[in-house]
Amino acid sequence: MNMEATVVKASIAKTGRRPLGDYIGRSHQGPLSEWFWEIDRVLLLLVTILISIGLIAVAAASPAAAERYSGDSFQFQQLHYFYRQIIWFSVGIPIMLVISTMPKELAKRFALAGAVCFFVLLVFVPFLGNEVNGARRWIGYGMATLQPSEFLKPFFIVAIAWLLSLRVTQDHTLPVVPATAIVTGVIALLLMRQPDFGQTVIFGSVWIVMLMISGVSTKLLGGLSALGVGGLAAAYFFYPVATTRINNFLFADGDSYQVDNAMRTLTNGGFFGTGPGDGEMKYRLPEPHTDYIFSVIGEEFGLVACFAIALLFGAIVVRVFVKLINEENIFYVLAAAGLATQFAIQALINMAVNLDMAPSKGMTLPFISYGGSSIIALSIGFGLLLAFTRRNPHLPALDKRL
Amino acid sequence: MSRLEAKPAEVRKVSLRREMQPIVQQRLMIVMLLLLFGVVAVTVRIGWLTVSSGGEAYAASGDTTLPPRADIVDRNGVTLARTIDAWSIAIHPDRAISAPEELAPRLQALMPERSVEDYLDILNSDRPFVYLRRRALPELVAQVNALGEPAMEYLREPERLYPQTNLAAHVLGWVNLDGEGVTGMEAVLEERLMDPEQRGEPVALSVDSRVQAAVQSELATAMRRFNAIGAAGIVLDVHTGELLALTSLPNFNPNAANRSSDHARFNQATMGFYELGSTFKPITMAAAIEEGVVTDISRRYNAEEPLEIGRFTISDDHPQRRYLNVPETLVHSSNIVTARIADQLGAERMQAVFRELHFDDPVEFELPVRGRPIWPEYWARTTIMTAGYGHGIAITPLHLANSYATLVNGGVYRPLTLMRLPSDAVPEGERVFSETTSDQMRGLLRLIVQEGTGRNADADGYRVGGKTGTAEKASEGGYRRNALISTFAAAFPMDDPQYVIVIMLNEPRGDAGTGGASTAGWTAAPVVSRVVSRIGPLLGVIPSETRDIDTANLRAMLWRAPSERS
Repeated sequence: MNMEATVVKASIAKTGRRPLGDYIGRSHQGPLSEWFWEIDRVLLLLVTILISIGLIAVAAASPAAAERYSGDSFQFQQLHYFYRQIIWFSVGIPIMLVISTMPKELAKRFALAGAVCFFVLLVFVPFLGNEVNGARRWIGYGMATLQPSEFLKPFFIVAIAWLLSLRVTQDHTLPVVPATAIVTGVIALLLMRQPDFGQTVIFGSVWIVMLMISGVSTKLLGGLSALGVGGLAAAYFFYPVATTRINNFLFADGDSYQVDNAMRTLTNGGFFGTGPGDGEMKYRLPEPHTDYIFSVIGEEFGLVACFAIALLFGAIVVRVFVKLINEENIFYVLAAAGLATQFAIQALINMAVNLDMAPSKGMTLPFISYGGSSIIALSIGFGLLLAFTRRNPHLPALDKRL
Repeated sequence: MSRLEAKPAEVRKVSLRREMQPIVQQRLMIVMLLLLFGVVAVTVRIGWLTVSSGGEAYAASGDTTLPPRADIVDRNGVTLARTIDAWSIAIHPDRAISAPEELAPRLQALMPERSVEDYLDILNSDRPFVYLRRRALPELVAQVNALGEPAMEYLREPERLYPQTNLAAHVLGWVNLDGEGVTGMEAVLEERLMDPEQRGEPVALSVDSRVQAAVQSELATAMRRFNAIGAAGIVLDVHTGELLALTSLPNFNPNAANRSSDHARFNQATMGFYELGSTFKPITMAAAIEEGVVTDISRRYNAEEPLEIGRFTISDDHPQRRYLNVPETLVHSSNIVTARIADQLGAERMQAVFRELHFDDPVEFELPVRGRPIWPEYWARTTIMTAGYGHGIAITPLHLANSYATLVNGGVYRPLTLMRLPSDAVPEGERVFSETTSDQMRGLLRLIVQEGTGRNADADGYRVGGKTGTAEKASEGGYRRNALISTFAAAFPMDDPQYVIVIMLNEPRGDAGTGGASTAGWTAAPVVSRVVSRIGPLLGVIPSETRDIDTANLRAMLWRAPSERS
């Protein structure tokens, strides 16, 4: 027994507790310090900043949303959505942290089980779902209502990553590409039935990105890209929801009132914003707390805040991908890259819609938009991302092992 | 050996992994760059929006109450124009689900400005968006909403509201559907009203809404009573040039400016040029006194016979057929004597005074709706004589009001203004008449109301002084005997003149109450009396039984028939 241990014991005896530093100190060999030194702390910091910004943004958008959804018979409290969002995060953040502590193998199994569960739920949505705004996307009752497609996203990515990795780790003759194509295709069909065009685009594009990273031939990639463009064209011509949305955007056809209002809100605050709580245009926005929260941020905190958020998403992408460069396990590469891609594409589409660069779709801004399903699903996804990017700091490189 | 044979699959996996590693790394970088390209596109777009929106907040930060356009208030802060969030009703005909045949009559019942056929056309069209009503009351929005057509859209749009409706409508003007000032002060002040720095502060006009309301209501009453086709009224602060009231009737409601006629929109006080007749006589007299042509106002001039100059004959409306001195000339409004004095004054000196009073220029003030007065091109001897009593030269009622202010305020001309002036911003002005001349004119103007054609203009205790003017309207080939411009130009209180009032009635018809007379003494003068008794207390002029300007010596100069002498 050395001196140090004696001191620690003495301090325990004195206070009955040990200082926090002991739990995460480099010298301590406990699960918490192990987690702390293995986790990607930069990524953890970035997502913490994002969640903080998100809470402030929802606080700003909450009065506008409360006013919009209040009726004569029922008035929402001004900060109703803010308080609800705090509840969602108080559930979501622990979920994220717990998942991030899972051993990678356990995380993988958990995700595969989740993929099966939510795939089944998604299949049942057409029969059991509740209709909101002409789309059947939700399942359940009251507070327990959830959107299976949101939860399926992270689990689906891990499942696809696992399937694709089999080709490298097990047998390169396995027909994993057609298998993932079938899974993605079935999910896409189910989503189009709801209808949920935005989610279909995300599932499809994440799948293509993961195929790309898994190293399929450029010929196949070219074919798939062509198929993607063809699919969009087909959606435009044969899928009425997509037709109107795209027409609205391309030809300023029909009612551009919402998009115009979003743009007006976004630029209303100028570069530095009107200041928190001083936005006016936000009251004219549809869905100020979800789809158009980026515009609310633009009005109250200025275009400079929009810049910052765009750069924050960019930073998360760079952090994840750069760290994956020297990861040798193909499954971890695919899963982490897929999760980060889903996260980034969703953010980019939402920002593009707000900036009038893309046709409007019901897409939330990750960790910033209000929404229970969205927050908890994103927490699961980010928890998995943190789990798969965990790295033993004492084992620096793969070269040494091979 | 045996180890290698035992694990061939493992070896293959390792070699595959080694083979794949560079491809995977390359693809990872490509995906990252694609995503970063998206981030860059978004930031570039934000940057472009920053530049294109000027990077400045539309609303100055920290003030949510800042209106999109500044309010206009009167000199006491009463709101005359304000921007509110109003409702608009629109429909997306391509998305309508009701049967057009059912919906159209219901819409027509609620919004009758369109016919059922028009509504059917709109509903059957495939247009994506049609405005049905740009300014709707909340009740109407609720009623239309109750029709239950989901393709209806109700928009909040900023709208300019004139809460006093037609009060000072010609001064305010109106804005178009895009909220830009079209005429009136709305157009003049466009930049000031939209300036983000100053929008929070309302613009104060010189107009006093109480005075304006009194003038408008009394003028409207007189206009109805005498069946006049138009009327104008002005109240002016003689010491500052601020217009407390400026009205032209008929007027319009700026809340619905497009529903008014051109006649109603025409501002007679600034755009209407009239030969204002005898109201010019005090100006001519003042010029003659100032220039030393009349050195003694008790001197008598021949008014026994109409004056014949070439083919013109100048005669009096109330012929006295004797010699008249200056007070008598004004009291009886003698054209003959005024013409004689104008003749002695001569073209040069008369034109000089008229120019000093800016009768040759559009009125100096903010509104752009003003034209150039009709100034005689050639000043023949007859021109000078007729101009002396207000014929052959046409000016606006505003010119007249300002010249009367100059007459009574001590002789100083100041430009008019519709903006409330801080006390240190009152212009110095240009001296036209001496203090002495001005003093003398105060007495003479009071005398006209006490003894002459202006009796009906007197208001108990307010010491009104002024002059009537009845002119026949010029038309092709001469004057129309029955089409009169009846004007009364007055100031009060005459012992310390503060306000000038000009009331003009366009083609009044006398009634039984006036004995059939349409002349100014019977039509315009009583309006002045009533307006003064209404606005005097509002403006802080204290009525007095005992205070008055001393006109005893002027009165002594008036000849009276032996039977009238006391």
